[in-house]
Order: sequence, then structure tokens, then C-alpha cells
Amino acid sequence: MKQSLRFYLQLAFTLLVCAFLIVPVLLSMLAGVTENFFVGLSSGFTLRWVVQVWDTYQMTIWRSIVIALACLAVTLLVGVPLAYMLARYKGGNSRLARVFEELLMMPVAVPGLATALALIMAYGQYRAFRSSLLFILVGHVLFTLPFMVRPVLAVMQSSQLAVLEEAAASLGAGMRQRFFGVVVPNVMSGILAGALMVVTLSIGEFNITWMLHTPLTMTLPVGLADSYASMRLEVGSAYTLIFLFMIIPLLIAMQWVTQTTRARVRL
Amino acid sequence: MRFSRIIQTIAASAALAASFSVAAQNVICYNCPPEWADWATQIKTIKEKTGITVPPDNKNSGQALAQIMAEKASPVADFTYVGVTFGIEAKKNDIITPYKPAGWNDVPAGLKDPEGYWTTIHSGTMGLMVNVDALKGKPVPHSWADLLKPEYKGLIGYLDPASAFVGYVGAVAVNQALGGTLDNFTPGINYFKALQKNQPIVPKQTSYARLISGEIPILFGYDFDAYRAKYKDKANVAFVIPTEGTVTVPYVVSLVKNGPNQANAKKVLDFLLSNEGQAIWANAYLRPVRASAISKEAEARFLPAADYARAKPIDYGKMATVQRQFSERYLAEVK
Amino acid sequence: MSVTAKNPRRKQPGSRVWLFAVPGMTLFAAFWLLPMLRLVGVGASGPTGAMAYLAVVTNRHYLSSLVSTLLLSGVVTVATLAISSFVGLFLQRNRFPGKALLLAMLTFPLAFPGVVVGFMVIMLAGRQGLIGVLTEKLFGESLVFAYSLTGLFVGYLYFSIPRVILTVIAAAEKLDPSLEEAARSLGANPWRVFRDVVVPALTPALISSGAICFATSVGAFGTAFTLATNIDVLPMAIYNEFTSYANFAMAAALSIVLGVITWIALALARSLSGSTVPATA
Repeated sequence: MKQSLRFYLQLAFTLLVCAFLIVPVLLSMLAGVTENFFVGLSSGFTLRWVVQVWDTYQMTIWRSIVIALACLAVTLLVGVPLAYMLARYKGGNSRLARVFEELLMMPVAVPGLATALALIMAYGQYRAFRSSLLFILVGHVLFTLPFMVRPVLAVMQSSQLAVLEEAAASLGAGMRQRFFGVVVPNVMSGILAGALMVVTLSIGEFNITWMLHTPLTMTLPVGLADSYASMRLEVGSAYTLIFLFMIIPLLIAMQWVTQTTRARVRL
Repeated sequence: MRFSRIIQTIAASAALAASFSVAAQNVICYNCPPEWADWATQIKTIKEKTGITVPPDNKNSGQALAQIMAEKASPVADFTYVGVTFGIEAKKNDIITPYKPAGWNDVPAGLKDPEGYWTTIHSGTMGLMVNVDALKGKPVPHSWADLLKPEYKGLIGYLDPASAFVGYVGAVAVNQALGGTLDNFTPGINYFKALQKNQPIVPKQTSYARLISGEIPILFGYDFDAYRAKYKDKANVAFVIPTEGTVTVPYVVSLVKNGPNQANAKKVLDFLLSNEGQAIWANAYLRPVRASAISKEAEARFLPAADYARAKPIDYGKMATVQRQFSERYLAEVK
Repeated sequence: MSVTAKNPRRKQPGSRVWLFAVPGMTLFAAFWLLPMLRLVGVGASGPTGAMAYLAVVTNRHYLSSLVSTLLLSGVVTVATLAISSFVGLFLQRNRFPGKALLLAMLTFPLAFPGVVVGFMVIMLAGRQGLIGVLTEKLFGESLVFAYSLTGLFVGYLYFSIPRVILTVIAAAEKLDPSLEEAARSLGANPWRVFRDVVVPALTPALISSGAICFATSVGAFGTAFTLATNIDVLPMAIYNEFTSYANFAMAAALSIVLGVITWIALALARSLSGSTVPATA
């Protein structure tokens, strides 16, 4: 009897937290198709806000997706090997590696304004670079790199992986072979977890992008924040609605891939 | 191998990125928000009449100034649109360059920089934007003093004078109206102290959306925003010029020093001061600087001239100089 | 590759493993470290010179901003860890249809800029928010807390919980159920099982994601900006310096001080879990 009461309390609390996170999003989506939010649902449903947002902000959505995927590619190429070094340098007991790990988190802790300002001052004079999406990509990679490195590093800590690597080494596999043949396939769960975070964070990155973007390279979060601030609530909400419909499938797909991989690869 | 696929993806993305930033006939404006002062129509008309594309940009005056300064070594913007005090600051910081657009001579002397560094294109008047429906039956306030009454508790909002230009304008307006001067902010500070009893919301950025949605029924703001809410967004919004008085604020444009596309930017500035450009401002309920451009029907939608007689200009240069002291005093005494 | 070219007795990856870090370190150095070092110079270039770095302690407004920021971030981190562990464990241990969709919806707020999180809080707890309307109907007086410290706290929770919950679920997957069973069979009640078996196993993940949560909260700007609470967090003060007065020197100095303080806090947290043990999860 006591057991099930505890269970229901836990369930209730969990549902409360989930509701807390999800209900405002649903409200916002509802506002996006309402004629007049102030009047309420009785004012009727309409798609005109959605159309308005699509006309005005369509490019920002595609841009953000392109940047997020490019960011994923870069953090994969750069972050996974980096995690490997942090895990294995001096047998995994290096103070230097720990210090560097902490340093990697700095772009997250320092206000995005400072990171962006530093970038503009250092590289702003290369006009082609400055006005392109690559400039924004750099900011995103700096911000999301720790979110790829940490989960991958965590999985690499597993002692079973070390054993597998030793076995491969004793059979004569070189460093490159070990990395691609043994390490990468076995840390897939970490890579996928990191990939999910990187893509989501990149799509939503605002603080750094706000200073790095130009009117020609506006991204989704910048547009979203603007529409909430300076246009009617319904417009910002319609934007959220479109955003949700484009992102949720991506998020579910990544969840699903993570689940199935986790089921297959037991470390 | 996976490697080469990844390289291909990056290369494709880079190419895509490059294609997104092709210049063409682009003139970059900092602070040309489509919904503010109806820049959306202005930008569209500029494209139709001159073929030049000006992408909209949602910064505010302060952000625009800071961004231009950060990019001083290699500017991205061609011109900027800011509140007058920021134009004065921009000149001091040597980030703008003089240009006298066609129509320069029609601009009154007090509303342009004598050397041509900036010129007013239109002005707004500070006052109270009131969402009448959201008041739920309470009377529409008529003066700054009215807002101190307990019946308006929880219904008032004003932009933070210490972090938003519009907020600072509001504070200056209240101060002037209650007998203070730019040297003496005590009446204004005392007013805000008293206003705290009514638990105002103090946003740090434009809150037009919150006025319309009813979240902030009484908001300190410009006349043109209120008229836009009333006539364009069809909300039951009234604009009130308080009985004690208020200020008018010109908004100016300047050419950015060493901007990438100067020649086209000059054409855009010419258009903004032209009859057609000015008429667009007038239709968006701003006071065009070349007064002849305002049409009869637009004029009819403004509040009567008698009300506007209570709105006065002030020494904008001085307003810029004393801003920092005022902010510190506000932060120390009111917050 | 021929076997004889490599030393067959080498077990560890060896001294050449640092090569793997070269792309990452180059990128980081070129685009963050070096520009930041230059920013340090900018911070000292203002009218007060290098004294600008002490402004965070000498200026009353900045000092109180710094303290508020650190306190708020600390409290948010602790609360987030508690809530996320509780909910994450429950979610991980129970199967139900639509779980993938639910998890995706819980992750979605990660993609919101802070400004939008602020508006979500206003939708929930503003003057016309859901809670206000409900409490007005039920109790006759509407409860509005979006613009108070509670609202700010709730906003920070809103973007922190999704970050931590996924990590907790991942770590919970790796828990060994046989340990818990053993504890139960030895007579431990559920609370003791939780406290003595589950929590220690989750601790490395909690510390690591707590560090991320703390760092993110300290640097967060958009939510405080929108909710415009009376409390000014330090990123707001930095934004102000930058946009109201184009005071780059002070903005840079304050940012760097904030970064250094956060680094110290994270290093302290690391030393709690063993100084050479790398971050897990």
C-alpha cells in the first residue's frame, strides 16, 4: 500500500515538472493560431500569423538549421578526438587535461557578449569572413564544444574500453586503427548524446549570435527574440509554433537513434 | 570513408554560407526595425523606387551605437538610425561621417548637425499609451500625477531609464513636466520613487506587444506607437499627452564612417528626406521633419494641436551629457 | 600497417595521443583564448585603467550584481539537480507509450533563447498568465510572480532542468540494479537505498551537470533581460555598460572577472570529486 502511494506521489511530481516545462510552450503555440490573444480563444482561429512569420522569417529558420548541422560536423571532427586525448593523456591522470577541460567551459560561463566582442575585435577586419555564416558558426562551435566533449569523455572513461584498446594494441593495431576501429564504435552512445545537445543548443544560441550576426545573417533565435519583443504576442507565438514543428521531428529522431544504439552497444 | 563525407558536408555548408552573404545591391542599416516607425513600408518603397535592398535590423539605438563602435576597424553597417542623443555620441566617438542629403535645407537648424554628421528624419512625442480595454472600466489617466493614484496599482509600466533610451526619454519628460531641468533631476527621481508604490513593471526593452496583449495596460511611450496600435493593429489604445507637459524627441540618421557601400547609402538617405520618404513617416504617425509632407488625413489622426503644444523640445546635447549621472542616481535612489 | 613497425608491447596510447587534441586546441586558442587575452587589454584601456578590474568590488552596484548572480546560480543549480534527479530517475525506470515524444518535449526548451524563456514565464505567471487567471477564478485574487525574484528563479529553472535531466537519465541507465536489490535484501528501507546506493552512484554525473548548470546560469542574460526584475544580474550590468554608454572597457573587465570567478567555482567543485578524475557524463 505504502509502495503505491509513494509511486503516485512521484508520478504526480514528475507530471507537475513536465507540465511546468511543456504547458507554456503549448500556450504559446495556441496563441500563434488565435486571432487575438487578449480576447482569447473566442476571437477565432487563424493562420495569418503563421503566414506572416513564414514570409518574414523563413530564411532565419533554414539558416539556423544549416549552422546547427555544420556545428555538429565540426564538433564531431574536433571534439571526439579531443575527448580521447583528455581521457588518455598520461593515462588519464593529467592535471593539464583537467585544466583544459575547465577552460573549454569558459565560453559558456563568460557572457556571450564578451566572446562575440573578442571575436569581432580579433577577426572583424576580414570582411568576407565577418559577413558570412562562418563567423556565426565559429561562435556556435566555441559554445557547444564542451557539450560534445563531456558526454564522449564520460563514456571513454569506462575501463572496459581501455581493456579493448589494450587488446587491440597487443594485436598490433596502430593508434589510428584503434581510434576508428575500437574507440569510436564503442562510444557511440556518448557521441549521440553530445550530438543531440550540440544541435539543440546551436539552434537556440542567442547571446553570442546576437552580436555576431549582421542583418543579412539573422538566425532563428535572434528573429524569435525580436518578434516576441517588438511585435504582437501572436507573431512570436506563431514563430514558436513553426519552430516546434521543424525541430520536434529532429529531436525525436535523435532520441530514437540514441535508444536503438544504446540497446545494441552495451559497454 | 566517413571522413570524406564529412568534409564534403562542410564544404557544401561553407559554399551555402558564402552564397547567403552575397552583397548585390545591399545597404546595411543598423536599427531599422520593421515594426518601429513602419520601416517595413519604407524599406519596401526604397526597394521599389531605387532598387536598393535594405535588410531590416532589430537593434535599438544603444545596441546599434555599441555595435558600430565594436566594428570600427571594419564596419559592417552603411548607415544607422538612432535617437538624437546617440547621434551626438556617435559624432564624439568618430564613427560617422558627414553627408548632407537632398532636402537638407528644409530641415530646421536645431534638428540637424551643422556640419552634416546627422539629420533628423522624424520625431515622436513621449506620453502615455493606454490599453483602454485592459483597464477594465477604470478611467483613462490624464496626467503624470494621475498615475500615482492607488486605483492604477499593478497597471503601469515604464521602460528602465537606466538601460533603455526610451526609458531615459520618459524620465526626462516627467522631470521637465514636474518643474525639473537637465541639471536638476530631483522632481523626476521623487516621482519614480512615489510610483513604486503602484508596483510598476519596468521592462528593459520595447514592450509594444505587452501593451496590446494587456499585460501592461498603461505604458510610457511614443505617440506613433500608440497610433499604430490604434489604427493599424485595431486595438483600443488611447494616447495621452499629460497635462503637466512632455518632450518631443527627434530620431536621426547618419552615414557610418568607412561603411562598405557608401554610394548607395547616400541614395537611401536622400530618399528618407524626400517628399515620398517623408510621406511614409507621416502615414506611420510620426512627425516628418519636413512638415510639408504630412497629409490632411494623417494629420486628422493625431491628437489636437492644443495637446501637442504641451510637448517641448529640449537641449539634446545636454541630455546626452547628463545621461550617465542620471542613471547612477536612479539606480542608487529608486531601485 | 606492419606489426614490426609498432612496439608490440606498448599498451597505453602513448605520448602521441596529444596529437588528437591539436585541431581542438588550435581552434580554441585561435578563436577564444587569444581574442580573450586581447580583451583583457581592452578591459584595462578605459579611463580608470587597470582599476576597472577592481570595479566589481569597489562599485556598490556591480558588487551586489555579482553576489546576486552567484547566489541565484547556486540556488538554481541545487534546485535543478534535486528536481532533475527525482524526475529523471522516475522517467528512466518506467516504461510508457509516448516516452520518446515526452523526452523530446522536455528537451525542446533547450533551444529557446533566454528572452523567449522570459516570455514563457510571463505566459505562466504574468498579470494575464495562466496561474493568474486560475487563482483569480479559484480564490478571487490573482497570483502574479513573473516579475519578482520567484519569477526569475522559475525562469532559470526552466532552461536548466532540460540540460540536467538528460544527463541524469543517461547516468541512471548505467546504475546497477543488483546493488539496490542487495541493499534491500539486507533490510534497508527505500530512503536509505536512495541515499546510500543511488545517490553516490549518480554523484559524478550530478557534479558534472551541476557545473554546466552553474556556468550557464552565471552567463545567462536573456531571461533576466525580459523579466526585468529589480535584481540586476551581472550580465545585465555588462549589457548596460555596453549599450547605454558603449563602455567597452568596463564591459570587458566585468566579463573577464565573471569568467575567472566561475572558473574558480568550477575548480572548487572539481576538487570535491577528486582533482584528477575527469568529468563524467
